[in-house]
Amino acid sequence: MPVATNCFGSIPDDAGVHFEFPAGLPAFEHETRFVLLAPLETAPLVFLQSERTPGLCFIAIPVDAICSNYNLALSAEDLEKCGFEPGRVPETSEIAVLAILSVGSSETTANLLAPVVIHLASRRAVQAVRADRVYSHRHPIRLPEVEAGACS
Amino acid sequence: MLVIRRRIGESLFVGDDVEIELLDICGGQVKLGINAPREVVILRREVRLTAEANRLAARHVSPEVLARLTKKIQFLAHEGVFPPDKHQ
Repeated sequence: MPVATNCFGSIPDDAGVHFEFPAGLPAFEHETRFVLLAPLETAPLVFLQSERTPGLCFIAIPVDAICSNYNLALSAEDLEKCGFEPGRVPETSEIAVLAILSVGSSETTANLLAPVVIHLASRRAVQAVRADRVYSHRHPIRLPEVEAGACS
Repeated sequence: MLVIRRRIGESLFVGDDVEIELLDICGGQVKLGINAPREVVILRREVRLTAEANRLAARHVSPEVLARLTKKIQFLAHEGVFPPDKHQ
């Protein structure tokens, strides 16, 4: 079934990878079905578009694109929600690890406290919220001024 | 920050109707029991921060802002300065 979206219009079924957050995301617990869109023209940025809410679309980026040695921590509960057998540590090739971005006019931050982990085989995902304080939920992304702004 | 020492089985009140009891201590972790009215929201710190971050991230981003962001991220990737912490 095509998915209605505010940003991309109506997208066909095969436009992206459909997956499920069995537990939703914090503040969006009822949003359990998403489609991962990775248009070439925005790479490495990707989009997590809700299937049921056309206006809900998270912008995300692979964690390793912004943090080269990110130390992923998945709880037993997170692994279970993603459909992994208990006690098995997933290979990096089995999962996509994405940081959700908050894009502001003056600042863009990435949530490294709670990356989205998608188990590619089961198409199940979890927002893996870390209990420790190693990474920030507002990790700043320092962007260059590539455009000449007007003089103030 | 108010600091209070409690032993297993002891509790404290926050306001009139939220009671927090220390149930157990084991291997660097403490187990807390909380009695509170249904309408009191209790969240682990990291879940609350993530909920706030998700609400911010869910705001609509205009195509112009997205295009600028994409251009800057691709510039950084192209220049090899991403991921930034490689170079620190």
